[in-house]
Amino acid sequence: MFRLKSKFIFLSIAVLVFTAVTSFAAKPPKVITIGTLYASSGSFATSSTSQYRGLKFWVSQVNKEGGVFVKAFNKKIPVKLVAYDDQGQTGTAGMLYNQLITRDRVNMLVADFGSVLTSVAVPLAKVHKVLLFDPTGTAAKFFTPDNQFVVLCSLPTSGQWPYALADFLIQKKIPRIAIIYSSNDFNQSQAVTLHDRLVKAGINPVYYQAVPTSTSNYSVLLHGIEATKPDAVIEFGFVPNDIAFLEGLQSSGLKFKMVFTIFPGQQLQLIQKNVGPKALYYTYTYPTPPLLKYNDVNFGPTLDSFEQAYKETGKKVDFLVVAGYNTGLIIEKTLDAAKSFDQLEFRKALAGFSGKVKTLDGEFKIDASGAQVGEMLPVAQFVPQGADGLDMHIVYPANLKTGNEIYPAP
Amino acid sequence: MNLFVYTIIAGIMYGIFFGLVGMGLNIIFGVLKMINLAHGDFIMLGSFLAYWLYGFLGINPLVAVPIVAAVFFLLGLPLYYAFVPRLIKSKDPEMLSFILFFGLSQVMEALVVFFFGNNQRSIPSTAFGSAGFTIFGQRFPIAWLITCLVALGAFGFVYWYLQHTRMGRATRAVMANRDEALVSGIDVERISALVFCMGLVLASIAGIFSFFVIGASYPSMGAELTTVSFAIIVLGSLGDPLGTILGGLIYGVAVMFMQSYFSSWAEILPYVLLIAVMLFRPEGLVGKAARSA
Repeated sequence: MFRLKSKFIFLSIAVLVFTAVTSFAAKPPKVITIGTLYASSGSFATSSTSQYRGLKFWVSQVNKEGGVFVKAFNKKIPVKLVAYDDQGQTGTAGMLYNQLITRDRVNMLVADFGSVLTSVAVPLAKVHKVLLFDPTGTAAKFFTPDNQFVVLCSLPTSGQWPYALADFLIQKKIPRIAIIYSSNDFNQSQAVTLHDRLVKAGINPVYYQAVPTSTSNYSVLLHGIEATKPDAVIEFGFVPNDIAFLEGLQSSGLKFKMVFTIFPGQQLQLIQKNVGPKALYYTYTYPTPPLLKYNDVNFGPTLDSFEQAYKETGKKVDFLVVAGYNTGLIIEKTLDAAKSFDQLEFRKALAGFSGKVKTLDGEFKIDASGAQVGEMLPVAQFVPQGADGLDMHIVYPANLKTGNEIYPAP
Repeated sequence: MNLFVYTIIAGIMYGIFFGLVGMGLNIIFGVLKMINLAHGDFIMLGSFLAYWLYGFLGINPLVAVPIVAAVFFLLGLPLYYAFVPRLIKSKDPEMLSFILFFGLSQVMEALVVFFFGNNQRSIPSTAFGSAGFTIFGQRFPIAWLITCLVALGAFGFVYWYLQHTRMGRATRAVMANRDEALVSGIDVERISALVFCMGLVLASIAGIFSFFVIGASYPSMGAELTTVSFAIIVLGSLGDPLGTILGGLIYGVAVMFMQSYFSSWAEILPYVLLIAVMLFRPEGLVGKAARSA
């Protein structure tokens, strides 16, 4: 009798504990908290604030619909964005990422703009086992097979950026190519990829030089390049480098058959405002949304409807707004697909829909290390339109082509 | 050979501009024996004012020179009387001046971010037309020539003021020994205020033309400009405004040669020059021992 009674008590307790544990684990949060950082000052401020605006806009859009659908709880839950200003300083960013993880206990972590401000988040996310959604930190070193806690949402790793550019130069059989790049991971990895691919194709660049990232005057450098008589000049730098390079080229009066720079395709308004449209005539670049439009979107709005909706903010859409918004979409899809509300389950869900989702930013496809391999960067050329306007044609690859290149530039 | 000639000429023009960049800092140091850590921010502020005048009112940078100069002169007077006399009377004016000007630099950066945002701003070099000019077969942008002429004009003015005016002679007396100047009846306070304003005006003029020589302006550029200016005035001679021209020329030519032949290393040049001068000729290339004053 006594044994039967104690068995009953034990069973009752076990049932109670099990019910308590499962009901606790299954209890949905009142809000999904997303933590991120932005830089209101410093050299990354322009890009960072754009990216942050895009993410913030996604939050406002999903909350208008009652929140984001979370499969693990089979219901929509509102989203709360917790954001701190890291002032573009990696030291401050490290402290604030830590604060988001340990004090605010955010459910999802989104990195600030670019590789520099993402670099401090990657090891912290790994240590705390929190999945880091990385919108634009494209340094290849972040993505290693032993780290399951980072996923690149928007762009390929920087070393892959010049794939189409290299193919274009090789296909055009341009024999004399000059490459000048700023000495940082982002630009150097592109220069190395391009250099190696050209050499493999039998083209030895006639000029291959690194300059400090702080370089603000390219006049002498351009004359050094000109002395090597190149057909094409490829400049890899950040936005201030591109502005200084284009400005230097314009004021020097030097002409090359082909000039390529990275950021007119991402920050056109800013660069055009600084150097004027004429400095961009016949310049080649990597086009990104909104200059590049993907028509086969199967998740989230198309670029046109996004631009229409974004008008309510009173700001213009640039690539980084799209990148920030796209990160929101990837989070939305993750929560929609993850079977349980768990960081590794989120990662598993991302791998599950990798290669199947196409947003306004292109195909979302990641490799085993979380690096983006779906989006690729085509080659485009700016051409004059009217007296003082600019038009852009995608000239490579053939499946995205919207116009023929004008080579050599007049 | 072409590149070599181009590098020398470009270096001289670049150096003349950097002479102007350092001049304001040195003239203030000469009289007040204080390093204005906000010097680069005054250059930045001058560039943003010129950008605003050009972008919103369509005023050509050359026409903007007297306007910007007047604004900075008037800005300098209250700044001087609010801070500097109290600093000089304090127990450790040099250290306190570092803190004060550092704080001022932060405030200026924040104000520019508030009014203009963080974006790079620039006046296209075509503001002076798209024509170039040729020296020894080398073509340069016309904006560089105009910048050099304005800088040379500013040097000429400083020289004329110091050598050929009563106030200038009094300024030199204050530079040589503040206490002796005071006992000999010179109105040291007035001279100091005038020179402080003159330093800000020179910085603001450098700011107007910075677009054409060093590229786009942005709110956080001040600190880097202060460092370069400091390297230039140490190179020339601390406290000797005219030594700054030599410091600027050496810096300019050296930067251009580094960019042409060892471009990856160009960034460290100001610091290498600074260390070299401190080790081998601490009084500067043309200077007396102003630092010990």
